[in-house]
Amino acid sequence: MIYLQILANGIVLGGLYACIAVGFSLVWGVLNVINMLHGSFIVLGAYIAYFAYVYGGIHPFVALIPCGVVLFLIGYALQASVINRVITAPVLITLTLTFGLNLILNNAMLAAFTADYRKVNLAHPLGSIQIGPVYLPGDRVAATILAVALTILLYWLLRNSRIGRAIVAVRMDHEAAALMGVDISRINAITFGIGAFMAGAAGALLSIIYPISPIGSSAFLFRAFVVCILGGLGSVPGAVVGGLALGLIESFGGLVFGTEHVTTLAFILLLFLLFVRPTGLLGKRGYE
Amino acid sequence: MNRRSLMLNAAGFATLAALGVRPGSAVAADADVIKFGAPLPLTGALSPEATKQRHGYDLWAETANAKGGIKAGGKSYKVEIVYTDYASNTPRAVQSAERLITDDKVNFLFAAFGSGAAKAASGVSEKYGVPTIAAAASSVQVYDQGYKYLFGTFTPNDTLTEPLANIVSKNPAIKKVAILARNDLFPLAIAQELEKSAKKRGLQIVRLERYAIGTMDHSSAITEMRVHSPDWVFATGYINDLILIRKQMNDLGLKPPVLSMIAGPAYKEFIDATGRLAENVSSASWWHPAVRYQGKDIFGTTQAFNELWRKKYGHIPDYAEASAAAAGAIFQLAIEAANSIDRKKVRDALASLDVVTFYGHVKFGPTGQITSLEPPVFQIQNAKPMVIYPAAVKQADFKFGSV
Amino acid sequence: MRNWLVLLIGIAVFAALPLLHDNYMLRLGTTLAMYVVLAQSWNFIGGLAGYPSFATAAFFGLGAYASAMLQLRGIPMVGSWCVGGLTAAIFAALIGGAILHLRGHYFAIASLVIAEVLRETINSAPAFTGGGMGLNLPVMRLGIVQQSELFFYAMLLLAAVCVGAAIVVQKSKLGFGLRCIEQSEDAANMLGINTYGYKTAAFVLSSVFVGVAGGIYASWVHYIEPPDVFDVMLSIKPIVMVLLGGLGTLFGPALGAAIIIVFEEVVWRNFLMIHEAILGAIIVLLVLFIPNGLLSLVKRRLKPLKPVP
Repeated sequence: MIYLQILANGIVLGGLYACIAVGFSLVWGVLNVINMLHGSFIVLGAYIAYFAYVYGGIHPFVALIPCGVVLFLIGYALQASVINRVITAPVLITLTLTFGLNLILNNAMLAAFTADYRKVNLAHPLGSIQIGPVYLPGDRVAATILAVALTILLYWLLRNSRIGRAIVAVRMDHEAAALMGVDISRINAITFGIGAFMAGAAGALLSIIYPISPIGSSAFLFRAFVVCILGGLGSVPGAVVGGLALGLIESFGGLVFGTEHVTTLAFILLLFLLFVRPTGLLGKRGYE
Repeated sequence: MNRRSLMLNAAGFATLAALGVRPGSAVAADADVIKFGAPLPLTGALSPEATKQRHGYDLWAETANAKGGIKAGGKSYKVEIVYTDYASNTPRAVQSAERLITDDKVNFLFAAFGSGAAKAASGVSEKYGVPTIAAAASSVQVYDQGYKYLFGTFTPNDTLTEPLANIVSKNPAIKKVAILARNDLFPLAIAQELEKSAKKRGLQIVRLERYAIGTMDHSSAITEMRVHSPDWVFATGYINDLILIRKQMNDLGLKPPVLSMIAGPAYKEFIDATGRLAENVSSASWWHPAVRYQGKDIFGTTQAFNELWRKKYGHIPDYAEASAAAAGAIFQLAIEAANSIDRKKVRDALASLDVVTFYGHVKFGPTGQITSLEPPVFQIQNAKPMVIYPAAVKQADFKFGSV
Repeated sequence: MRNWLVLLIGIAVFAALPLLHDNYMLRLGTTLAMYVVLAQSWNFIGGLAGYPSFATAAFFGLGAYASAMLQLRGIPMVGSWCVGGLTAAIFAALIGGAILHLRGHYFAIASLVIAEVLRETINSAPAFTGGGMGLNLPVMRLGIVQQSELFFYAMLLLAAVCVGAAIVVQKSKLGFGLRCIEQSEDAANMLGINTYGYKTAAFVLSSVFVGVAGGIYASWVHYIEPPDVFDVMLSIKPIVMVLLGGLGTLFGPALGAAIIIVFEEVVWRNFLMIHEAILGAIIVLLVLFIPNGLLSLVKRRLKPLKPVP
């Protein structure tokens, strides 16, 4: 019986992890940029949702679109004005750049919001749904469903819109895409913006689950890293698979080895996976 | 290229050397000022705690200066606090302590926050013989190093778990205990103390689970606990951990008759973030705004202190905030008792201090840790932390049952 | 020859620091020497071979813990430092065999994860390592100044040895091979270079001095706990320093370390709450305006950077 509950826990957690990682994975895959700002983007989205709820009574499930839009604008502006200047530099350069930008953004949030933990406390929480012996946390399930829906929407847009196809083209071969007349720097900025949008939306969803503080951003960033490698870089379905895999590893690992060893277990599996299949569970060969 | 890179090297080195003789520290020397160094984790993982401490020190400095400063050797000294931010990074805390002593020339030190950093940095203040008060370090391991200059305003961890276990074990229906502890110096130490306190009273420990720092999901641990249907769940960690654990317990249907958490429920932020789930959560802390003392210190009575705090910061102080203010007030008492700002004399005055303050009775034991406090047990009822014990300041009866 | 001269003069200038009679300066100097070791070590694998390693913290923590645990069992201090370095080197050789076939991001992540695994392992074995409670090292019966000087000179000596090793390596066949690998691993293979052996050698070089530095650090601060010695910043900062000074250059890492430490100190002293943001701004400006490192300004003929594969 306990296994059913653990399975349910793992799937719900995995959904949240997927939504943390999608935007990060997209930016990494298309731009070849490890975006160290991603964790802070999520926290900023969560703050916007928090203030929207406390001062405007807007439910975070509604606020997730405006949160995403605000973050899109920030992301677009950052890419267009700063990151694009060194976009062709080695990955260490862009990593250092986003690391520096993250210090600025995170410190600014600390100064503006203080480090005190806050959480959206819903007036009408969804409570738990009990199915037989299994408890399903309503808020988490709803957040997971929304996250997955958003991810599917992104996937569909990448396949079917003009801009989406341009992004995919850049991801596959940006020199060829440039020859085909794609405006690379604009596509870069839009991609980075979409990554930030997904982070902002994720932040809104997470604001009802996790305590929010600027100092919590690194935890999100780290999860995004792990999920990306597990699932395979730059692929939207890969982020979902990676998220689910991490969620299941954490919940079953916690049962078998004890909670304190869960992270170690996830990391050891990750190393093993890198060893045997460096492109991740769904990654494509030769794309590295 | 080599010569030029050498010049660059030399330039960097010269800048480094110039730092040592920065102007600024000379200004304070001519006025009658006592400088207190306060290394705090103002940024980084521990920054919420640092704000509390800073508010406490600031209020004390302001109050002391408004009342004419500290009197010693026929002079009045103004209080000045020099802050450094060690960014929640222990090596930086050690570095901060040394900088405050050698460069900023502080007379006395407040210790770094928490048990780990306080312990690491206390080696420096001991080396230089600078009296240091730790306002937020409780683990005995911090004080058992044989140091002479370190004092602490928190009693050992078992003084929190003992009265809590006493109250809970009075109910014969409570038999099985499950413990969920953060794998970190203070939370782990307090969980181990509770384990002892519970076993001593014949309670059965059905689970003791540790979780890693930075854990983002407690569902496995909670699901497993549910299988054992514990009567008493005891969770330790910092406030963000405890908020998440409280929420997930509810999500997963773990509703024990008694739920205790340390340290977090004493903070207003915990009640704000968990809402009605905070109800009936019990805890213990080293101080509570409901205690009543007639202090000989600068703040006087506990009520007067609470009122002063509320005026400045807009809320009732919690134990961490009070302890920081108390550390300042205790320094002042010791300096005035020593009638000197000589470090050795003030150290001796601290060691022999035996006085009542707004914070409680202050007397340091042979290791430097306070021995005279009676930490209150409290429970959140109607969104307020109500004192259950000690009897003298009791506000409510302990409620069993979970929301 | 010139390189050795620069090194000697650098050491001589540095070694005069205790003449200032300022213990805090000595502490800063010790910290700087430590970061010179870290940055210079990273340069072997990251600069010469072009493998973006994030394993510095793993080696540092491993060295610190190995040395601390040995000292607590009665091994003399200096001996324990050497064992700390040896432990890190053996570990690097073993783990290098497993992850050096990865390239680019994948290698970066794998090396990053190693520090996390080690930290959690040490955290969850309290019987041997003290776990989350940390480890206390024996306090030495020495005066304040003598202690400060002892650790300062120990760290300085280590930094000198490390830079010396870099001078030797750069001139050697190994240095040539690593540069070939950095340019194109396939081409290096075709030239008959044993790329696998060379990369492992570079990885081991990037670990051994860091392990010793971890050991010295542990003795220096008396108390270590896993989050401190496996701090991810110990992996990131040396990279920033090398990028700033000049990737793959001889004295770039030391120069970068000096500048970052000085900047950090100045900013940290003068801005209580926003020093992180200012440091971030400095990093951003450096990356945008001198992406090839400071030494490239002096030495125009330095080849432009090739993207890490």
